Amino acid sequence: MAMTIDSPRFGSVEIDPASVIEFPDGLIGLGGSRYALLTTAPGNPIVWLHCIDDPSISLPVTEPSRYFSDYRVELTDDDADRLGLDDATPVDVYVTVVAASEPSGFTANQRAPILVRDGRGHQIINQAPGCDLRAPLFAEVLARQPGPAA
Amino acid sequence: MLNITRRRGERIVVGDDVFVSVLEVSGQTVRLGIEAPRSVRVYREEIWLEVKRENEAAAQAADISLPDLPAPLNSGAGQAPPPGTAVNQTPPPADR
Repeated sequence: MAMTIDSPRFGSVEIDPASVIEFPDGLIGLGGSRYALLTTAPGNPIVWLHCIDDPSISLPVTEPSRYFSDYRVELTDDDADRLGLDDATPVDVYVTVVAASEPSGFTANQRAPILVRDGRGHQIINQAPGCDLRAPLFAEVLARQPGPAA
Repeated sequence: MLNITRRRGERIVVGDDVFVSVLEVSGQTVRLGIEAPRSVRVYREEIWLEVKRENEAAAQAADISLPDLPAPLNSGAGQAPPPGTAVNQTPPPADR
């Protein structure tokens, strides 16, 4: 049975229960225990992680591999245990995005990625070195674009 | 706030299942060991606070309908598009 949430951001949204992601610990500092991914345009790499229990919570997330070519996630042994993950386990990785009025102002939090597997999500602290709390999201993409002829 | 004085090797118990041990005291630094059930997440406060603030900042986003966000490094070829329930970008009627 589909459930409907009343989202301040998107209005009435019907959620397929099969798409619900359970966050046993919520998001760090934000809480919420059930979320769903919403997309405003098919193919847009930035999607919304929308809380179902508290529809006032929704935040943009994206797959870091789409913007950061060398991004890696390292778990503490405790987290790997807790999540039942090892290097061979396929898992979807998302990072939260802070939007800005200009593309150059967009940042992603590489320090606290969200791992999703089998309908369960966890936001963890990434132990990999060189992870930025506010990594410019489009820096690498923009650097690769051919600039105006100089 | 409860204030407790402990020596090296002594512990405090929070509830019935969280144990905090003083492992080492050296100058201004105290090394603690924390044993807690898996369901209890333990963070250094500054890291917890940073992530909380970034999550809150992300959730403040007004809208991401900027016309020309740069295209990603890869368009998702060979990988599934982000799953997601399609919604309209149009916000609901402004009754709030």
